[in-house]
Amino acid sequence: MLLIDINGLKKLNGVFLKILQGNLSPEAMEWLLQKIALIVAEDKSVQLHLCFAHLPRIATKKTIEIQDQETQQISKLLPGFLIDNWTLDKLSRVWLLMQLPSDNRETYVKKINSLFAAAEMNEQIALYSALPLYTYPEEWISRCEEGIRSNIGTVLEAIMYHNPYPAKFLSQSAWNQLVLKAFFTEKDVSLIVGLNERVNEALIATLEDYIQERLAANRTVAPEIYQLTQQMNP
Amino acid sequence: MCCNENFEERNKGEKITTVLDLNDISGMKFFDPHVHMTSRTTDDYQAMADAGIVALIEPAFWLGQPRTGVDSFTDYYSSLIGWERFRSSQFGIKHYCTIGLNSREANNEKLAEQVMEILPQFIFKEGVVGIGEIGFDDQTAAEEKYYRLQLDLAKEAALPVQIHTPHRDKKKGTQRSMDIAIEQGLAPHMVIVDHNNEETVKEVLDRGFWAAFTIYPFTKMGNERMVEVVKQYGPERIMINSAADWGISDPLAIPKTAALMKRSGISLKDIELVTYRNAITAFAQSGQIDEQDFIKIKDIDQSQKFASNSILRGGQQPRIDKNSIIIS
Repeated sequence: MLLIDINGLKKLNGVFLKILQGNLSPEAMEWLLQKIALIVAEDKSVQLHLCFAHLPRIATKKTIEIQDQETQQISKLLPGFLIDNWTLDKLSRVWLLMQLPSDNRETYVKKINSLFAAAEMNEQIALYSALPLYTYPEEWISRCEEGIRSNIGTVLEAIMYHNPYPAKFLSQSAWNQLVLKAFFTEKDVSLIVGLNERVNEALIATLEDYIQERLAANRTVAPEIYQLTQQMNP
Repeated sequence: MCCNENFEERNKGEKITTVLDLNDISGMKFFDPHVHMTSRTTDDYQAMADAGIVALIEPAFWLGQPRTGVDSFTDYYSSLIGWERFRSSQFGIKHYCTIGLNSREANNEKLAEQVMEILPQFIFKEGVVGIGEIGFDDQTAAEEKYYRLQLDLAKEAALPVQIHTPHRDKKKGTQRSMDIAIEQGLAPHMVIVDHNNEETVKEVLDRGFWAAFTIYPFTKMGNERMVEVVKQYGPERIMINSAADWGISDPLAIPKTAALMKRSGISLKDIELVTYRNAITAFAQSGQIDEQDFIKIKDIDQSQKFASNSILRGGQQPRIDKNSIIIS
């Protein structure tokens, strides 16, 4: 039960590296590679935390330039995943996370969780965007559920938009919560990976109640809700 | 940080009220380098944005209720760089913070030790513009110990320091705070000495430190007094803030004081220095302030605008008419 196997992940790693090389200054790339060498060698997470926090200062927050061919490669390797609008610091952070040694499951999970625990807004966005890329995918289910409870809109979007992890790994109730929250916070649900595939009776029943509630309150109902409910009861 | 207000003093006598007219300060922009937004409402954010506040700094402080575990500090620091920053962005105000262990809670030594261990995880985060607010409250040995340790941390990280000076025994406490900063090897231009008054300002400026003044009713500076201070000392290295928190305080202290300064004949250039530019110059030494961001954040992305389910619930207009009795 994997979104992407080891080989696919290696290829993706190569594509990301190529994009980074095309976007980062040579000095920034060099800095990042040096830091990664330190991070891979350390038992603790000191260098990891420092590098992760410092990246925007080195990488800048420009939007990445990406070739169509690269976009296609990514979408073939990990369907639904799209990084076209990412900033350079975000891609650098996610690529850094992909370099973490994962042989020791306990250490790996602990390190990533420690980043979540002290993450500022943009760090959270990078960490949640990387959900499909972590090793041991079932370890991140409760983390993903926690993220859906966030009040920070951009964090929600990191989980909801172009992210194939939730549809693949969330339980039905957690998935339904994601969809309801997306409607409730007026997200662009067309960007949710697996929205139509994971439609289910419980979700439809709740959405139908939600429609009634909105109508009773004289509020508008997003047309996408009807599209979803009609899919189940044509 | 606030204090115990004196009710009798507060309620004594009738105050002559003068209303803030936003037209007086239209076109001016302000930077509040000390305001505890965690304790404030969305109405305050809206009013601040309307009055021209484009960016602010939220120093880590005492929450009014002592914390009993280090995780409470972790969550508080995380909220300063996470949720509160997002909340602020929804009103088009750029949010920065300073991170530190406040003087009161430095007295819980067992906890203070643990907090010192987590601080390095936070001080290098994006938008952290200094170590603060730190310094003295009671002027105990424990307060001094953690003040010195945090000065060392600031020096190592090349970050500015925001010093809270004590309410009681203020003059000596302020002198001692500066002495210790020098002893720990900090350059005065990296230190913002906060909560000054007429009695402390001269020495702070003479020694080359930044002098911040908190416009806060009853216990700190009134803004009529502030006008006199600026007239006497000029605008150099002086900045004002609201330090608005959970006490009776005013998040519009800066725009109101700017209006009063203008009315009192202080030049627009000097007002700008005291209410905007000096604070930026001082805290930009962190390398974390880019004025372009003040403009970018005004350009609020609609996806962010409607993002939260607790501030701006889906369907509502982000802007609500506070004067209407209709709530839809």
